[in-house]
Amino acid sequence: MKTVFRILVSLPAILFVVMGLRWVVDPAGAAPGLGMTLMQGVGLSSQIADIGAFFIGMGTMILIGLITQTRAWFQAPALLLALAAVLRVLAWLVHDAALALSMIVVEVVIATLLLLASSRLSQEK
Amino acid sequence: MAHPQGTPFVRYAILLLAAAASLHSIWAQAAPPNIVLVIADDLGFSDIAPYGSEVQTPTLSALADNGIRFTNYHTAASCAPTRGMLLTGVDSHRNGVPNIPETIPPEQAAHANYRGELGHNVVTVASLLHAAGYHTYMAGKWHLGKTPDLLPFRRGFERTVTMADSGADNWEQKPYLAIYEKANWFADGEEFELPKDFYSSRFLIDKTIEFIASNAGDGQPFFAYVPFQAVHIPVQAPQEFIDKYMGVYDGGWDELRQERRARAESLGIVPRNTPMVNMSTTSDWNSFSEEEQRYHAKRMAVYAAMIDAMDHHLGRLVDYLKETGQYDNTVFIFTSDNGSEASGGDDPRSLAMRVALWQQGYVNDYETLGLKGSLNTIGPSFASAAASPLDFYKFYAGEGGMRVPLIIAGESIPARAQPINALTYVTDITPTILDIAGVSPPSGRFGGRPVESIVGRSLLPLIRGEVERIYSATDTIGYELGGNAALFQGDYKIVLNILPVGDNEWHLYNIVTDPGETDDLKDQMPGRFQAMLTHYEQYVIDNNVLPMPANYNPTFQGIVNGVLDRFGVQVLLALLTIVFLVPFYILYRGRRR
Repeated sequence: MKTVFRILVSLPAILFVVMGLRWVVDPAGAAPGLGMTLMQGVGLSSQIADIGAFFIGMGTMILIGLITQTRAWFQAPALLLALAAVLRVLAWLVHDAALALSMIVVEVVIATLLLLASSRLSQEK
Repeated sequence: MAHPQGTPFVRYAILLLAAAASLHSIWAQAAPPNIVLVIADDLGFSDIAPYGSEVQTPTLSALADNGIRFTNYHTAASCAPTRGMLLTGVDSHRNGVPNIPETIPPEQAAHANYRGELGHNVVTVASLLHAAGYHTYMAGKWHLGKTPDLLPFRRGFERTVTMADSGADNWEQKPYLAIYEKANWFADGEEFELPKDFYSSRFLIDKTIEFIASNAGDGQPFFAYVPFQAVHIPVQAPQEFIDKYMGVYDGGWDELRQERRARAESLGIVPRNTPMVNMSTTSDWNSFSEEEQRYHAKRMAVYAAMIDAMDHHLGRLVDYLKETGQYDNTVFIFTSDNGSEASGGDDPRSLAMRVALWQQGYVNDYETLGLKGSLNTIGPSFASAAASPLDFYKFYAGEGGMRVPLIIAGESIPARAQPINALTYVTDITPTILDIAGVSPPSGRFGGRPVESIVGRSLLPLIRGEVERIYSATDTIGYELGGNAALFQGDYKIVLNILPVGDNEWHLYNIVTDPGETDDLKDQMPGRFQAMLTHYEQYVIDNNVLPMPANYNPTFQGIVNGVLDRFGVQVLLALLTIVFLVPFYILYRGRRR
């Protein structure tokens, strides 16, 4: 069962790393995937730096969690994803943004998976 | 009392005045002439009727009858280098396009002049004509760069509709090779979507007429550049044109090669009894079954139909110019970008070929050959017939790759029944156009920046009949493309063709008496051979010709470049991801132990 969990958790970790690296090597190709157009100047810098760091950071945390089997390394990215889902709903309610339901579902599912992993894969008592 | 010399003196004076008036009307007209530069793609030496073809090309025949055929005209043996030299008059190693970008190896691509894109160190004939008051139009294939600053809209053409790749489908907006994600069409510098009823030759002439009509009557002359997609792969044509050639090629490629040589001889395109080799890549026609022969014959019928259709649509442009009163003041220049194309093999129905086509969204069934959704080729054996009576074909420096038709015609061009056999070269076209238009070539600078000087020579003295040749017996023209190389001097040529079709060795031929390159003279004329090799080495130094990497294979390089060009980001991303993940995996395995 633990092996299945490890595989299930490592998949989004790799996906996040790839998404983050794509912002580094091909921002023009990465932007449409998140419903964005590529900005210029400081905006472009923020897009590449902040979004790249968000995804690479989450993927790295999950990978460290898999190696160290420490609960906090799964809980931190779960928190980030849950917050992202909540803020997407707020954006829809308050700022008239589109309701990105498919993205919210993915974020909630992966956050839940990571929380489960934090209890099943952790060796902490 | 009459002067004793009066009568003849007056007669001579009248004759001189008449001649001067005639020359003035021909070459220094008050209204600068319109110029239409038409270039076919991969059209072989004997592919049109004025050069010995059985294909019906009445428009080109009429132009040839009303103008001049050049029989010793040479171009580069592949597309982009020809187009770069054609439009600038500058050697390909100096204008940035020494090879097609798709096959330039990375060792060379690092060099500024080996990008496969027309450099900003050269000025196009369109820029020069536009600066002199010409309207400049282009409709057709470009292949000299796809970034905004390199598209024809930024290289002197005021109205354009252009396909930027090496080729594309003739029926729809679709790439013909997997190395392209899409067929890159642009109109006036912006991405462009083709109409639903697109057929390349018809569309390009429609757009040319539209461009000319948009400014007709404003008093300015025009320069229209019409680089057809015909007859590049995929070889495609409308059914009504294909029907005209069904059964014509049932005798096979050897018979066709013989027939075309005989017609070329009778037309004075090549000398009587021109010797001809049987090319090493030509298959034995009789080794094919009847069904296979039927299939091959249709491949060639579609090819003939595509030439016929090109000629038909070019005829519509001529008709339009006549109807609008512009024909009499228009000079036409027609040529090809290189010799016939041999790709596609002589077993196009193999499973591997059909799977490759299927992956690209094509079929090559007999019934639909040449129609929408079909990718047709003629292969090396019929390509040898298309180059008859010459040796080699596209990519190679043999005459079949480099010698192509050139017709210059118009009401102001003195018609000549006999073709001109003087050596001429692709870099001569730009200076000829400038001479016809009365525009000076760039003198070291244009638009505030330094530009390369034109190395070609105007053909007008030849056209006027003032000289027999524009390159003297001691002048040389050097050439190199992807390792294939040649040097022309007088009636002679040294040539090296790389493997697999060539032998990687230099040979010496008299290309006037032996255009088929059958009799190697290097042992009979060692002095000339060595002297020409020395001239070639000097050409390499003068033009910074880079050596080809060892074991260079243009096909393999094309695949590598294509994959990197189309999937480079994905490959880089995969490599970075692996590099990123490996330390985590090592740590993970270490802790589990």
